[in-house]
Amino acid sequence: MHRLPPRAFMVVALVLLVLAVLLGLLVGPVQIAPVKLLTLWSADQDMDGRVLELIRLPRVLLAALVGACLASCGAVMQGLFRNPLADPSLIGVSSGASVGASCVIFFGGFGFLGSGLGLPAIAIGAFLGGMAATAVVYRLATSVTGTSVSTMLLAGIAITALAGAVTSLFSFFADNEMLRRISLWQMGNLDSANWHRVMVIAAVVIPLVLVLPREGRALNAMLLGESEARHLGIGVEQLKRRLIVLTALGVGVAVAVSGVVAFVGLIVPHLVRLLIGPDHRYLIPGSALLGAVLLLLADTGARTLMSPAELPTGVITALLGAPFFVALLLRQRRDLVS
Amino acid sequence: MLEAQGLSFSIAGFSLLREIDLRVEPGKVTAIIGPNGAGKTSLLRLLTGEQRPTVGNIALSGQPLGGWSPTLLARVMAVLPQSSRLDFPFTAREVVMMGRIPHATGLVRDTAIVDAALAAVDGSYLDKRFYTHMSGGEKQRVQLARVLAQIWEPVADHARVLILDEPTSSFDLAHQQLTITNMRSFAAQGVGVLVVIHDLNMAARCADQLLVLSCGRIAACGSPQQVLTATTIKQVFNVDVSIGINPLTGTPLVIA
Repeated sequence: MHRLPPRAFMVVALVLLVLAVLLGLLVGPVQIAPVKLLTLWSADQDMDGRVLELIRLPRVLLAALVGACLASCGAVMQGLFRNPLADPSLIGVSSGASVGASCVIFFGGFGFLGSGLGLPAIAIGAFLGGMAATAVVYRLATSVTGTSVSTMLLAGIAITALAGAVTSLFSFFADNEMLRRISLWQMGNLDSANWHRVMVIAAVVIPLVLVLPREGRALNAMLLGESEARHLGIGVEQLKRRLIVLTALGVGVAVAVSGVVAFVGLIVPHLVRLLIGPDHRYLIPGSALLGAVLLLLADTGARTLMSPAELPTGVITALLGAPFFVALLLRQRRDLVS
Repeated sequence: MLEAQGLSFSIAGFSLLREIDLRVEPGKVTAIIGPNGAGKTSLLRLLTGEQRPTVGNIALSGQPLGGWSPTLLARVMAVLPQSSRLDFPFTAREVVMMGRIPHATGLVRDTAIVDAALAAVDGSYLDKRFYTHMSGGEKQRVQLARVLAQIWEPVADHARVLILDEPTSSFDLAHQQLTITNMRSFAAQGVGVLVVIHDLNMAARCADQLLVLSCGRIAACGSPQQVLTATTIKQVFNVDVSIGINPLTGTPLVIA
């Protein structure tokens, strides 16, 4: 194992991010000439300029923000659970969000929430569902002696199973149209990007990505063990509560706007750790950058591979992510043996 | 000085410790010995503030343990638990550097301290090696270097305390000796050292004061010569031994 200097990695990742943004803007069902970028926000736009401004740019930004959010939250979760295979969905956010979203899709069809709310209602339902599931998991794992991370893991699995059952129940009683919407939502998709959504997620993700690396040293100490961290002067209980609230919020918002995008939160921190080492002060921002790049590329792929039809982004990340993850595991095993 | 008075501790009606009085004096090594399940680790948990005693109080430099700010306490008290699991590929240097987290002494000073602490445990060659690839003994040395780095130098004249729970359990002979040397040299700087140790002869060699725990009570306390007698050992460990004198150090030698 040979590590890259963190700063060099950040520079490379930033360059990649810029390239991925440009690619995402220019490539799609309609190829757009780079020169049209100059007409962004100007009065004399042609059709291509309007596509760029109203469709491509929000979508590209949304992909980058969701990717950054999921990956940095994944890095935090892996540190908090002291397990390099942890995933942000472990605390029940994603499955809770599925229940919330399918509930809205199901009852929304019955007119409970009014058809005028439409998509935003799904996002709100998903967010509330995710928060509720995390709150339950957190309560189950917290006693007077503090929060037990291992109980949280088990409670997360239980709540995920329960939420899966509830979602299945909604799917079972849903009609064909609802069923299609529920399953599309669960695949994770960025196709409903607009400036409004970009603003909402940016308001959460940008502060989050800036705040999380400040907990880097404390998270490093947590990897030694909770009592070791306590002996190093870390307020362990407060740290856990803060990080769980922040990641639940981040993942909750990401899932609300994009559905369940698989594997980004698991793979990106893992990959960054292989490249620059496990120090969270660099791992968290590095994961944010690489997460943005990877989700952007995956989303560009989703838009263009079967053009003019569009694949769900979450399907692409899972299709590429799973084999990639297996390759990482095999590589690690080989390193251990040799 | 770390001082405990009248400590009792019970969990769910089970009494683990009863009426423990203990002083960890600056400049001295205090060793706790006793059979498995005697309450040694529980006692350390109380003394480090990780758990609160059911009855009794603990003070460091005259101030109750609970009154210390966590950061300030971490600057003067370092604790090495029995075993630490770390599954992430940090290098030895990064692990030892974590001992400097409570301090704000700057990277240059911290780097010098980490170098010295690694050298003190014969771990300089581990510097850039990954913790996950090390042997058990090497890992334990790196962890020891981490806690040594944590209290490497005095902070504003506060008394420092070093607490080690079986620090030598996976060490070879040379590194056991080195650990004794390290404990003695920290004590010589005025640090109060408290160590839980299983090997009675090692305890006899490194400690100024021995505390024998048995069934949650103090069975004996005093210098190694006073404590390590055939009667006490028979009483506490239920083993017949004879006591000689270590020809190299003059300390008691337990022959089982």
